[in-house]
Amino acid sequence: MSQTQAPATSIPIPERETPRAYLTEAQWRKRLDKLAAHPAMRHDNIHLPEGATTKLSGLLLIAGAAALVITILGAFAINARHALAAFEVGLFTCVAMSLGALFLTMVFHSLNAGWTSTVRRQFENVASLLPVCWVMLLGVVLIEVLGGGILLTWLSEEMAGDHLLEQKSPFLNVGFFGVRFLIYGLVWLVLSQIMVRTSLKQDETGQRGLTRVMRFNSGWGLLVFALTTAFFAFDFLMALDFRFFSTMWGVYFFASAALASVSVVVLVLAVLKGMGRLTGAVTEEHFHDLGKLILSFTVFWAYIAFSQYFLIWYSNIPEETAWYVYRTGEGGYKALFLVLAFGHFVAPFCILLFRKVKRITGLLAFMAAYMIAMTVADMIWIVRPMVYVGEHASENPGVWGGIWLDAAGIVAPLCIWGFFLVRAVGASPLIPLKDPMLHEALAHKNYV
Amino acid sequence: MSSIHPDKVTAERLAGLREAAHTPGRDEGPSLGDGSLVEDPAIRPPLVLSQRTHSEVTQIVCGYAEDPPPKWWFIAITISSTVAAVGTGMILYLIITGVGVWGLNNQVDWAWDITNFVFWIGIGHAGTLISAILCLLKQRWRTAVNRSAEAMTIFAVICAGIFPGIHVGRVWFAWMLFPIPNSNGIWPNFRSPLLWDVFAVSTYATVSLLFWYMGMIPDVATLRDRADRRLRLGVSKPFMVALPGGREVQLPLPKPDTLRAYIYGLMSLGWRFSSRHWHRYEAAYLVLAGISTPLVLSVHSIVSFDFATSILPGWHTTIVPPYFVAGAIFGGFAMVLFLLIPLRALLPNFKDLLTIRHIENMAKIILVTGMMVGFAYSMEFFIAWYSANKFEFEAFANNRVNPRVAPYWWAYWTMIGCNVLSPQVFWFKKVRQNPWAVWVVAIFVTVGMWFERFVIIVTSLHRAFLPGEWGMFYPTWVDILTFAGSCGIFLTLFLLFVKFLPVFAMAELKAVMPDADPHPHDDDHGEDH
Repeated sequence: MSQTQAPATSIPIPERETPRAYLTEAQWRKRLDKLAAHPAMRHDNIHLPEGATTKLSGLLLIAGAAALVITILGAFAINARHALAAFEVGLFTCVAMSLGALFLTMVFHSLNAGWTSTVRRQFENVASLLPVCWVMLLGVVLIEVLGGGILLTWLSEEMAGDHLLEQKSPFLNVGFFGVRFLIYGLVWLVLSQIMVRTSLKQDETGQRGLTRVMRFNSGWGLLVFALTTAFFAFDFLMALDFRFFSTMWGVYFFASAALASVSVVVLVLAVLKGMGRLTGAVTEEHFHDLGKLILSFTVFWAYIAFSQYFLIWYSNIPEETAWYVYRTGEGGYKALFLVLAFGHFVAPFCILLFRKVKRITGLLAFMAAYMIAMTVADMIWIVRPMVYVGEHASENPGVWGGIWLDAAGIVAPLCIWGFFLVRAVGASPLIPLKDPMLHEALAHKNYV
Repeated sequence: MSSIHPDKVTAERLAGLREAAHTPGRDEGPSLGDGSLVEDPAIRPPLVLSQRTHSEVTQIVCGYAEDPPPKWWFIAITISSTVAAVGTGMILYLIITGVGVWGLNNQVDWAWDITNFVFWIGIGHAGTLISAILCLLKQRWRTAVNRSAEAMTIFAVICAGIFPGIHVGRVWFAWMLFPIPNSNGIWPNFRSPLLWDVFAVSTYATVSLLFWYMGMIPDVATLRDRADRRLRLGVSKPFMVALPGGREVQLPLPKPDTLRAYIYGLMSLGWRFSSRHWHRYEAAYLVLAGISTPLVLSVHSIVSFDFATSILPGWHTTIVPPYFVAGAIFGGFAMVLFLLIPLRALLPNFKDLLTIRHIENMAKIILVTGMMVGFAYSMEFFIAWYSANKFEFEAFANNRVNPRVAPYWWAYWTMIGCNVLSPQVFWFKKVRQNPWAVWVVAIFVTVGMWFERFVIIVTSLHRAFLPGEWGMFYPTWVDILTFAGSCGIFLTLFLLFVKFLPVFAMAELKAVMPDADPHPHDDDHGEDH
């Protein structure tokens, strides 16, 4: 087959201007000036007034301290295991939110996601609390180690001789555990500081290259993030029952982290909007996209949780199913399991599918708070059954037993963490001021 | 609009007004490569180069389907269709003789057949990811690759579909895979993941085909209209065949444009480019993207259940569903790059539409998904040890890893080398931005992903719990030629696609070009004039 006409594909490239490769310094300054004149960039729109956060942060600190005192009293009134478990539930939720925010900050940089410019500062604020989380974790670690294994039973003398534990002892020993814990702290500190400080520096200098610095560091950062998050989850959550193992565990914790971090950022942004800030900078379009992230991480969590449960259920090997037996058994845990299946996935999935829900700030903020509550419920489901097992099984008061202690223990770390979050939000401009993609975020539109 | 002449940059650099290296942290970088490698974060790189206009894009893309195919195309399709024919012959031979013609035995009763199935079904995932997930994420660069990646998805699913069908032995009972009421009252086992596979794969094939076809309707209508216009203007050429000696003979056939107007006309389902059509199209596209998104995850998750629901050491591990999905996207993008980088060199003006930036983006996805796969490998290995389950650990250490005792150590280390080590070169920008280097890595990854499935399937099967049940798998020539045949079928279909259908999603590509912006008021253009 042949045609005699000249091939149409050899179209010569006409003489045209070459597209611009970069802005000159003068052009960039001009754009910054133009951005500064944007109505959304008014000073009072993107800053909180001096002292606006004092009241809230003070309240949170007092509440946190009070809850901590109640928890400590509860440790004597009920038992230390119960109090520590309650505290850990709250603390792991805080760690999840901060880690997830660090992850998303790095993802936004890696993807050059323009629309996130105006919301990224709040992710940075949440991520900047990782050192706070680590210090609280240090308290837990010290209590565990000095107390000879309160919830982390592999630390206790009584388990010494256990065959499985002997097999696992090259990993589960105090020295290596301590080294790993130090590595987590170091990695999280370095990464969160790089992201936060570089971004703040850009606010001042307006250097576009700092965006490339953050992108560069996000590359390797995501890798070490994945490893430290997975092993943190192994050490602090999976090892609560040192017999249990699941290759999915790191991903399972990560799913909660990503979900909870978007949720908390939506809450922060909604509060700031309520205070009359961020007009034109964070609009319903941004909330819509953040809502989509909440929806997709809700689905992702369900996918991971289901896959893990399903594969263990189907294969039905006792060494794995034992973990689920505690968590679907007596004392209200079965109900909690169903609450998670429906409350953590089915209901929010159906609700968040609606466009309106994602675009109305108040509704989305409610859903965000609800998803954080569900993350807490997930943590309760993971941690709490470990309080009354083995020799303590006879004392098991069920999910509702000693609920005041659970409530105080959970609220204490969340309030202390919240105190630092509120301070961080008040301490810097509410959006990055000179991000090179800011103009895209200010003009962000979803499909109409 | 201003442009800075590269000479001026050099002059400034020599005069010390400008720094030399473009390290991260510097504000500006010179335009590199083909012009798509803009390093200034304040500027989005162009997605179509040479400042092509809309009509030029139409010309270029339609040209691939309208011009006589180049010589290499004939050579390539001759080879690939021959291989496909040999493969088809092998399938016939298998059906006539029985599955004994493969190297399967009592111990290793799944080998290349299921390896090929999982390999091909995984390849398809990149197309669905690009067309569905990247669409929902508004990744504009996907418009250059989505059409060919979706086509590749369909062809890969076709290749995948062959193997479960023929591996069952008595192929004439293959209908029993489906829950069809019959007089014997025989039903498939609804609790078997193998049955879920049937549903997952057939759903996937249906939705992918719909998505691909529906997305193509406006572009096919363009081809129809162009053929129709040439007929009306009387510039259509008849079917000519070139004889040796330079003479051309007209064949007594309808003109190619008549066939085009008829066939593309049928395919375009009455598309008239009316705004109502576009409105429906956009809505349908979004709905199909929404439906396809869970499919990206579900199909390979269910394929992974084939293995992970068992209690076989090496198969039963909880991370398998997301790990299989990451691996599928990994292998799929490698195949996209494997096919498109040569096309970029062979077809005229392809480079204007598929830029180095596109290739770099895909290289980054390969790096990310490769690291995910590596993460899963290491988690499996770590937990196999941590579980303190002797069998689980030995399945990894002594059946796969340790060269002194594992007969398949070479397969395991090929997998690690190709899937985990080879993509590490993508940490370097120089490599990501070098199409042929990317192409070589894509080949490694494709090989590695085949070996991954081989390692999972065969190494777990060849060592059962009792040493008396141990065996080995040796492929026969039928095994080898059947797999080669599936590659032939895949490439033949892809070459036909390149010749007869729009290789780029023209309509979508035009939408991401600057000309499509009704309000072109970039804040720092214009003022410099």
